[in-house]
Amino acid sequence: MRRKERTEILIQGSEDIAKAFAKEIAMKYKVTVIQKPESALVLLKTRETAKKSLFYLGEMLVTECTVKIHDSIGIGIVKGHREDLAHSLAIIDAAYQADLGETKLWSPILENEKKNIQKNLQELNRSILRTKVHFETMDVQ
Amino acid sequence: MGYVAVKGGTKAIEESIKRLKYERVKKGTAIELPKIEAGMRGLIDQVMSESSLYDRSLAALAIKQAEGNPEEAVFLLRAYRSTLPRKHVSRVISSEHMKVERRISASFKDVPGGQILGATTDYTHRLLDSELENESDISIQDWLRAFQEENQSTDYQNDSADLNSLPKVLDYLRSEGLLASCENDDLQPGDVTRKSLEFPSMRSERLQILTRGQTGAVTSLAYAVIRGYGALHPTVGELRVGKLPVHLDHPLLDEGQEEDSYYIGDFTATEAEMLIPLTVEKEQGKKEIEFEVGYGMCMGQNETKAIAMGILDNCLEKPNKEFPSHNEEFVLYHIDSVESTGFISHLKMPHYVTFQSKLDSIRKSKDKTTEQEVGLHE
Repeated sequence: MRRKERTEILIQGSEDIAKAFAKEIAMKYKVTVIQKPESALVLLKTRETAKKSLFYLGEMLVTECTVKIHDSIGIGIVKGHREDLAHSLAIIDAAYQADLGETKLWSPILENEKKNIQKNLQELNRSILRTKVHFETMDVQ
Repeated sequence: MGYVAVKGGTKAIEESIKRLKYERVKKGTAIELPKIEAGMRGLIDQVMSESSLYDRSLAALAIKQAEGNPEEAVFLLRAYRSTLPRKHVSRVISSEHMKVERRISASFKDVPGGQILGATTDYTHRLLDSELENESDISIQDWLRAFQEENQSTDYQNDSADLNSLPKVLDYLRSEGLLASCENDDLQPGDVTRKSLEFPSMRSERLQILTRGQTGAVTSLAYAVIRGYGALHPTVGELRVGKLPVHLDHPLLDEGQEEDSYYIGDFTATEAEMLIPLTVEKEQGKKEIEFEVGYGMCMGQNETKAIAMGILDNCLEKPNKEFPSHNEEFVLYHIDSVESTGFISHLKMPHYVTFQSKLDSIRKSKDKTTEQEVGLHE
């Protein structure tokens, strides 16, 4: 599983999953913290649709953490003040970068969480679609 | 009269700051941040948008500290923002990927994907709801349970529209040849937070200033345009509110593949695409109507502001000396909350020396006038 999909599941899904994965790695390997979780800004580069040009919409506050396992660097970045999650994400990223065997066993758990996320999203969408307008043509006398 | 340098007021300032805290807490009850975050969505969205910083918790804290005063809350957040390192620029965010929670068009009844009202005050009666006086956490939880049960019931017409990839009205118009098509323009944007604005400005700088503009100022100028202090008559082509995902490339690699990017979360945004009809003279004097687009987007659910931004965007694309609303210097230099409220409120600060100097001038001219009048009588 590539990083984009993996981080989407770990951030949108239950935080317990990231916590459990990181704990598993931290118990077996030496994790060196290069940068402890701290706040930073991400500039939001956006494409407008009138002329399809780019502009900066503003900034988002994030928490960022960097760790090292063996010689592999792992980065954890997440929106808001979420130090524990940023730390867990960094360890997980380093574990994938180092190609640790444990990561092979995580795929089914992530796939299962992805299904939960999609189910919740479908429920939300179904709820929003109750506000969709169904026009009725009025009789013309 | 000579000028004398003075100092003092330290103690008075300390007591004034205490007094300010007293005014905030004098009722003896504290307003918790989660309650601000839960119940003041509109104010949080406005403050985040004008601060140009997306973080709901920080916005709630700023609102608490500012006692609900948006201009002060925006000032606090802008100041806090300036203390943080900006470490990354996101991959390009596109509204095509918005998880839509509300989408309407005032131009097309049968817009592809449908008119989805979502959460809006547009159809409420604006009558004060006295029942809210007695609302409690328990009554809210009961309502939420009932709402969820109602949503899960199958007695409502199912709809298969995919809210994660709703077709765009502009794409539809472009595919029909009703709107000029254009390719992606990947020119790197200017950043007004790093480089002072120079005129003529870049389009990216104009959009950045408009999106972080004070809601009231942006709305008022756009209103003036429609009332006649401008030269366009817009319609909302599409208005959408929803969540936009944010991804980052690996910081140590120049251009990463999308699949190797980091997802960091999403944010609520409002996008308005304004259609502006324009009469164009074609061959042999034949006149045809074409459409131009004014673009508005801001953080949070700020629909009036996004629409107003779309109007002003189009105004500034077409400079016109007849109207201040088409003058980029007039619009862009006066809509920023911190700049405008900062300058106006600085007038409260001591101006003893400059004011005394003016008084001296008046006294001198009065003395001269009196001397001349005495001379005439003699």
